[in-house]
Amino acid sequence: MKSKNTNNKCRQIRAWLHKTISSRLGLDADWVQNHIGKCPRCQRRIVSAGRVNLALSVMKSQPHKLDLLMRANTQAIGVLKHSLRRAPKACKLKAMLPKPKLLERCGKYAHPAANAAACIAILLLMKIGVFSSMDKFQTEGQKVVKQYYASHVGQEMADEIFTA
Amino acid sequence: MSGKAISYGRIWDFAIPKTVDESRRWVLSAMQSHGQGLVTMLWRILGNEQDVCDAYQNTFLRLAHYEGRGKPEHIKAYIFRSASNMAISMLRRRTAERKRLSATAATRGRATDKDASSPANELDSKYLQETLRRCIAQLPEYLRNAITLRDLAELSYAQIGRILGISPGTARVYRCKAIQLLAVWMNKERQKKD
Repeated sequence: MKSKNTNNKCRQIRAWLHKTISSRLGLDADWVQNHIGKCPRCQRRIVSAGRVNLALSVMKSQPHKLDLLMRANTQAIGVLKHSLRRAPKACKLKAMLPKPKLLERCGKYAHPAANAAACIAILLLMKIGVFSSMDKFQTEGQKVVKQYYASHVGQEMADEIFTA
Repeated sequence: MSGKAISYGRIWDFAIPKTVDESRRWVLSAMQSHGQGLVTMLWRILGNEQDVCDAYQNTFLRLAHYEGRGKPEHIKAYIFRSASNMAISMLRRRTAERKRLSATAATRGRATDKDASSPANELDSKYLQETLRRCIAQLPEYLRNAITLRDLAELSYAQIGRILGISPGTARVYRCKAIQLLAVWMNKERQKKD
């Protein structure tokens, strides 16, 4: 129990440290931005690093043909042992196409899921609203009837009727 | 008696290939589970489909013949490192070949390579990619592995740490150093063209 608490505290401190350091020493910190604005050397360095990142992004954004995995598998299996080449798994691999990642696969369901969640939320809110209004109507109605009885037969009698 | 011996011999003959078969199945399993990531990484390093297929084939061939037909302890680490090394060697060969060709063309008085001809091409994605590839091939191995696995294979720092046998923090530092070095080299290349 004690170690669990210590772990949580450690985690909190680590998170706090990371947040503080990145806010004070990160590239977005005010004093860093002010310095970069004045220093041509830092500007050059940032531009160079940006160029590398741009080149990496360009490299990543270039798609390969859909059948490249299939072709690579076929070529690689072709040089393996005969017994492996004839295995059922090898045949599957020769026809294998790249599968999108889980996030990408779920991406197309994001919009309908968000719509469904919104509908459920609205229904819940409506249900809560209807029930609370019904309770309110009931208590208000009781009050009115009690007042009517109090004015016609007396307060004591009305109390007796409505407490029973 | 001799008939029995022959029949046992036949059974034994059939049994051997089957056990060898079973024992090498993990190569196909590795291909199935890591093939896609590997092809993506190789494509990003090499940018040429035939080279990708060759590097991929050599990686699995090397895996299948790993230390006297054994099995590496960390298959993913082995596959990604050997594929990356193989791709970088191919890239270096390609760069050397291109240099040699452009030198020959220059001595003959012809125009040099088209994609490296003018700084006006700087924004051209092909030029950027080729320059970056050339520079990555020149990086020291520990920095090259970090940037290749992080940016081209898109693995997490924790995975890179496990593959390279370093901590995730060290992997992060190596990647940062690699970016700095690449920035300096790419800047120099650009100045050379100017």
